[in-house]
Amino acid sequence: MWAAVTGKTMRYDAFSKCHPAVNFLFFVGAIGMSVVIQHPAYLLAGIITGAIYYLLLNGKKGWKTILGLLPMFMILTVINPLFNTLGATPLFHFGSRPYTLEALFYGAALASMFVIMMLWFGCYNKVLTSDKFTCLFGNLIPSISLLLVMVFRIVPNFIRKTQQIIGARKSIGKGISENATTKEKLQDGGTVLGSLTSWALEGSVVTGDSMRARGYGAAKRSSFMMYRMTGTDWILLAVMLVLIGATIVAACLGQFAATFVPAIQLAPVSWGLAAYTCYLLIPTALHIKETIQWHISRSKI
Amino acid sequence: MKKSNIATLIVFFLLIPVTLFFGSKLPGRGYYITGTAIIIELMIPFFMAFEGRRPQARELVVIAVMCAIAIAGRAAIPIPNFKAIFAIIMLSGIAFGPEAGFMVGAISAFASNFFYGQGAYTPWQMMAYGAGGMLAGFCFAKGRLPQKPLVMAVFGFLATILWVGPLLDCSHIFLMVSVINWDSIIAAFVSGFPVNLSQGICTVLVMLLFARPLLDKLDRIKGKYGMMEGENGL
Repeated sequence: MWAAVTGKTMRYDAFSKCHPAVNFLFFVGAIGMSVVIQHPAYLLAGIITGAIYYLLLNGKKGWKTILGLLPMFMILTVINPLFNTLGATPLFHFGSRPYTLEALFYGAALASMFVIMMLWFGCYNKVLTSDKFTCLFGNLIPSISLLLVMVFRIVPNFIRKTQQIIGARKSIGKGISENATTKEKLQDGGTVLGSLTSWALEGSVVTGDSMRARGYGAAKRSSFMMYRMTGTDWILLAVMLVLIGATIVAACLGQFAATFVPAIQLAPVSWGLAAYTCYLLIPTALHIKETIQWHISRSKI
Repeated sequence: MKKSNIATLIVFFLLIPVTLFFGSKLPGRGYYITGTAIIIELMIPFFMAFEGRRPQARELVVIAVMCAIAIAGRAAIPIPNFKAIFAIIMLSGIAFGPEAGFMVGAISAFASNFFYGQGAYTPWQMMAYGAGGMLAGFCFAKGRLPQKPLVMAVFGFLATILWVGPLLDCSHIFLMVSVINWDSIIAAFVSGFPVNLSQGICTVLVMLLFARPLLDKLDRIKGKYGMMEGENGL
């Protein structure tokens, strides 16, 4: 259904259209909490919500990454008891060291944390693109943001120029032949790299002088903002703060407490789980709301 | 006192102790948050110092170009864990001084992760790459070490396997290892060693083959445009 709405190449995502500050804060909260919470119920909530949003962002290709995380999960789980020998029920002995059930469960919890982190970072990479980052921090670190913007421009420029250099060398008969030796290939690579560096650095000095001549550094720079905090953004921010506040209160009340070694002790599941899950479902909920709205407005036509 | 010095003092005597105090109370993998927060706090003085002295346009653009070359060094070789990025960061440090080396390292780590994917390891990578560039800049400044290919190759190899590589392995320890004790720390460093070794070999090859031509080009540019004459190097 979503594929039909969003088309094949560009996936529409409502959360990505929000203000970068909202996106950034959401991921700080989601990833930050995923590292601290080790109660199995909350871990499960984190994995499911993270996987859903990851799949919404990546479509069918997302399955590949998620399945790729499985072996990672297994390995991290199995390794833990080798280093952590505490626990009441030994399964077998590995040399003189016991391999305990509790440590195995603890390993599974730690591996889940890792998986959740990977999933949310996967989503972060899709949502918080480089332009959003520089927009967010442009005022705080102006020189470094400018540096980043320039790097992002230069990299594709380099690729183009490298191809031009190789083409130019070929047309004057200096290119490498199909069956060149490794030494010839390296020498050729060195020459291309050298001329690319010269060209890029000379260009950079000219650019720098030109920037200075046009008044760079003469006064405080203002920056162009693509994004503006809308009503929806403020509401989202408020909802996020309330939910994260509730989660922290729940954590302070000990609802997330979980010890695995030497004996497994879990706090009973309570309202904290609802707050945490709702927080993590914010992007998914936005996505679904937008899709439903689109369908309704389209059916009216 | 300069702003950046005040920032350094605040970071060392206020931010890091506070982070350690609250970090020790976090459950679960809280030590990852603590470690990463401290790494980010350690980078603040560097970035503040850079922002604080309002770098000239020329300097910004040259650093941007070196970052782009470093990123190309990560992308150009299609063999995993065999990347020219370390060598190019170190060469930037050698050519333009420790501060430029740090900036090139940190920024190229951060910027290249926009192509490769940001992760929990990003701050560690920025710190490790930056530290590599800074160390190279420091060791080769004022003719402390001769800029000969062999010297640079040995330096690059040692710096990669003993300095940048282990710093990167630390992120692995905080992120993946379940119990932090000497056994698991040594295991993490040992399992990271082959990766560091292959990076080190790549650094040696790049230093031996391309360091001199690249430095010649950089020196020529510096001479031609009268850079490296001011206080700040550029």
